[in-house]
Amino acid sequence: MRPKLGGCLIIVNTKTLESVPGMGAGFARALIPSRASQARMPQHDLRVADVKQDVGRLADYCRVTGFTLRNHVPPTWLHVLTFPLQVHLLGDKDASVRLAGAIHVSNTMTLHRPVSSQDVLELGVGTTDLRPHRKGALVDLTSRVRVDGEVAWEGVSTYLAQGMSTPGEVEERERTPFTPVTPQARWRLSASLGREYRRVSGDPNPIHTSRIAARGFGFPRPIIHGMWTHARALAALEGQLTDSYTAQVDFLKPIFLPGTVGMVSQRNAEGINVDVTDKRGEKAHLRMQVRPHG
Amino acid sequence: MTHNAVIVGGNRIPFTKAGGRYADASNHDLLTAALDGLVARFGLSGQRLGEVAGGAVLKHPRDFNLTREAVLSSALSPDTPACDLQQACGTSLETTVYIANKIALGQIESGIACGVDSASDAPITVSDGLKKALLKASRARSVGERAKAFAAIRPRHLAPLAPGVAEPRTGLSMGEHQALTTEAWGVTREEQDEIAAASHHNLAAAWDDGFFDDLVTPYLGVARDTILRPDTSVEKLARLKPAFGGPEGTMTAGNSTALSDGAASVFLASESYARENKLPMLARVVDAEVAAVDHPGGADLLLGPVAAAGRLLERQGLTLDDFALIEIHEAFASTVAATLKAWNDEDFCRARGLSGPIGTFDHSKLNVAGSSLAAGHPFAATGARIVPTLAKLLHAKGPGSRGLISMCAAGGQGIVAIVEAV
Repeated sequence: MRPKLGGCLIIVNTKTLESVPGMGAGFARALIPSRASQARMPQHDLRVADVKQDVGRLADYCRVTGFTLRNHVPPTWLHVLTFPLQVHLLGDKDASVRLAGAIHVSNTMTLHRPVSSQDVLELGVGTTDLRPHRKGALVDLTSRVRVDGEVAWEGVSTYLAQGMSTPGEVEERERTPFTPVTPQARWRLSASLGREYRRVSGDPNPIHTSRIAARGFGFPRPIIHGMWTHARALAALEGQLTDSYTAQVDFLKPIFLPGTVGMVSQRNAEGINVDVTDKRGEKAHLRMQVRPHG
Repeated sequence: MTHNAVIVGGNRIPFTKAGGRYADASNHDLLTAALDGLVARFGLSGQRLGEVAGGAVLKHPRDFNLTREAVLSSALSPDTPACDLQQACGTSLETTVYIANKIALGQIESGIACGVDSASDAPITVSDGLKKALLKASRARSVGERAKAFAAIRPRHLAPLAPGVAEPRTGLSMGEHQALTTEAWGVTREEQDEIAAASHHNLAAAWDDGFFDDLVTPYLGVARDTILRPDTSVEKLARLKPAFGGPEGTMTAGNSTALSDGAASVFLASESYARENKLPMLARVVDAEVAAVDHPGGADLLLGPVAAAGRLLERQGLTLDDFALIEIHEAFASTVAATLKAWNDEDFCRARGLSGPIGTFDHSKLNVAGSSLAAGHPFAATGARIVPTLAKLLHAKGPGSRGLISMCAAGGQGIVAIVEAV
């Protein structure tokens, strides 16, 4: 059971999978265009227990995203581990929202306590209410990582299903306006970065690796995975990250491959803000806020 | 005005065989892990230290600022400066001396000496022919010029080059050099296997006693040195085939160090800084000396530290009797055996410019918590493994207890240091 917005409770079924599903079949289903105009999501959660982490793949992930390979894993790695469950859920017959074509618009993750690469994990993914957006419907996929029964990490990935509708009022979210900055750092993203991140994340979306597929979705060139940019931005703060924090990102504009972007970070009383911008610092691609707990 | 430089403590990660559990970790990862543990142990998060000095023997060109980068990845204040320093296997004893000297001179009040090596992450480079063609192509001003540069590449240029394990001037590997020394000094197979067995037994006993609980932090699920074989024995070691010195050779994989991955660190501070910050003081760094021998001219490659030990003891007016514990780095068991013989050889010592033999000592004082044969030898990390281990052992023996460290290094070099319990 979990609380529904508004205070009443709804019963949620949990389907337990034997192992983390492969992403090929689920992704293929998620690629089939939906003819539905109403956004629908399955009403069950997915759960996989006893997930051991592959240190070799973690090392590769760290190499591609800029993290140091430590005892404690980056929280973005935990997102990567739960991602196949998100794909599986979106491939469900009750889902009208398709992953391919849905836009990852924002993401929030909270690390409640450090998670070791040796920890055996229980992964869970579910959805919360759909809500309307100017351009379609927003859906939140919620993910949870438990260690020894205790929630160690939680994530909320918000996707925009373009052109779909769902009942309710459009909620206008206020964003702090971006003012141009002088980048502190410049990242050169190689043409092969999409393939490298696909290897470590398992995300097979061809929009990140194929020019033809990218064109099919209206992009002139492949775009890097938003979660790569998120991870890279968090890795830039590495030494300053605490044991427990929340990282919230908005994905504002796609980054084309190959490409060069700028980065600025700024520490304030609440935490650290990072902007990944275009080369000159005039437009923001990603805005991240990191807020330490305790 | 000089200040006492004291060893506050240390931290390392367990050492593993190359290609083992740390096969996917880089020097940067390993060194950061060693620093992370040290920072956690002494509450250094967010603190600016005077300097961090570290190094690696097998180093990628991309790691030109290895130690500084590890500092930036660690929780130390990013305002902490760092430098890279390298003296082959003597590296992190040399970084210890460097930090201690700066503290003694009042230039800094605190610092970390460290070292790391990964034989799993060894830099593979390209041939000279390919390098020249690539550089020429990058300087080319036209497509034609670039094509011409690439056209000069031949298939033979494409073979990657692993880092050399041979001494550049002799073409002999370290094991082959030591095999010559083994022969020249008449070191027997039994002597070597006894040293190797003792190293494993001593290290195993130290682990079982919990001695390393405040000196080692697990990394990637490895909680103990993986090369350690607690149940080895002289009999078991005697069954191994020779690895160096031909079919009649006495040096085996069991009495030679294995290629290893690991990192280690030492936290040093001035006595006043340690008092103000309520930090432990295990031992002070008294003095150190480096030496080298003419190995291309035929001298024993790994007996460089003998002259350093002799000169250091003469300068300090000390004899081996003044030491409670002695650490001789086990590059090979035969290095330890030959060093002990050389210390007691009047002609050899006089030829090194010493006034007489260094002498002998009770071998129960030697490498009492095990050494490189059992722990493994990630080249640049070994000094920073030995220093905190010895400081802790001496501290337990009481104030004034002295320890001597002798380490051989490639290039016919050696570094020796004295520490004394506070």
